[in-house]
Amino acid sequence: MTVTTATFSIERVLNASPARVFAAYASLEAKSAWFKAPSDIETLDRDFDFRVGGKERFHARWPGGMVTDFQATYHDIVENERIILVYDMFQNGKKLSVSLLTLEFRAEGGKTRLIHTEQGSYLTGGAEAVKSREHGTTWHVDNLAALLEGREARAFA
Amino acid sequence: MVERLSLGPASVSELAKPLPMTLSAVVQHLKVLEEAGLVKSGKVGRVRTCTLEIKTMAKLERWIAERKRFWEQQYDQLEGYLAQTAAKEKDQ
Repeated sequence: MTVTTATFSIERVLNASPARVFAAYASLEAKSAWFKAPSDIETLDRDFDFRVGGKERFHARWPGGMVTDFQATYHDIVENERIILVYDMFQNGKKLSVSLLTLEFRAEGGKTRLIHTEQGSYLTGGAEAVKSREHGTTWHVDNLAALLEGREARAFA
Repeated sequence: MVERLSLGPASVSELAKPLPMTLSAVVQHLKVLEEAGLVKSGKVGRVRTCTLEIKTMAKLERWIAERKRFWEQQYDQLEGYLAQTAAKEKDQ
């Protein structure tokens, strides 16, 4: 396995105050109302401990049988301003990535600019592994796409 | 460096020329890119030529795009949630 690092960011202007946006992250009840899978899944574990050093987990089985596991640890929380967490993403028990995720909430008029910056280490196959495991890797990436798009994972064939 | 290689294969000295870096720093960078499977190099005589591994690059780009799409989708849902709860607060 080789590690590849990449950074990306997403910006959104949300029609709510920073306090309301922050609140949407701060309780399990509020977060569950929007941080969810787009299709019917079976939740295997759901932990939520919103404090510095606290952990969040979303372990689920998808209709196609694929099991995904989001495991996060909160590293920094400043009320109504920012949240910094580190999360691991697993698929069928295999670690896909480790990411440092910084969320900033900036007041803009009556709205909030949400800035999501993600610095990730992606555990893709190396140059030699890419050749010998081309098929397997493609399958993995396709299933990751399926996971993210809410489609069913396809069987390894 | 990746930008230059996207135009086609290049020797190490060709890559180093426009960069404000020492040749050994360039070699170090190439080593990292090679270990990540993004660049391949081969030696012909005394010249080391580097090429971009398009497949790995495309895979990584797709991977990042999918991860980004995942979060965009979550934020669409966040927007919906905020609109809903704002309406509720008004009602009360």
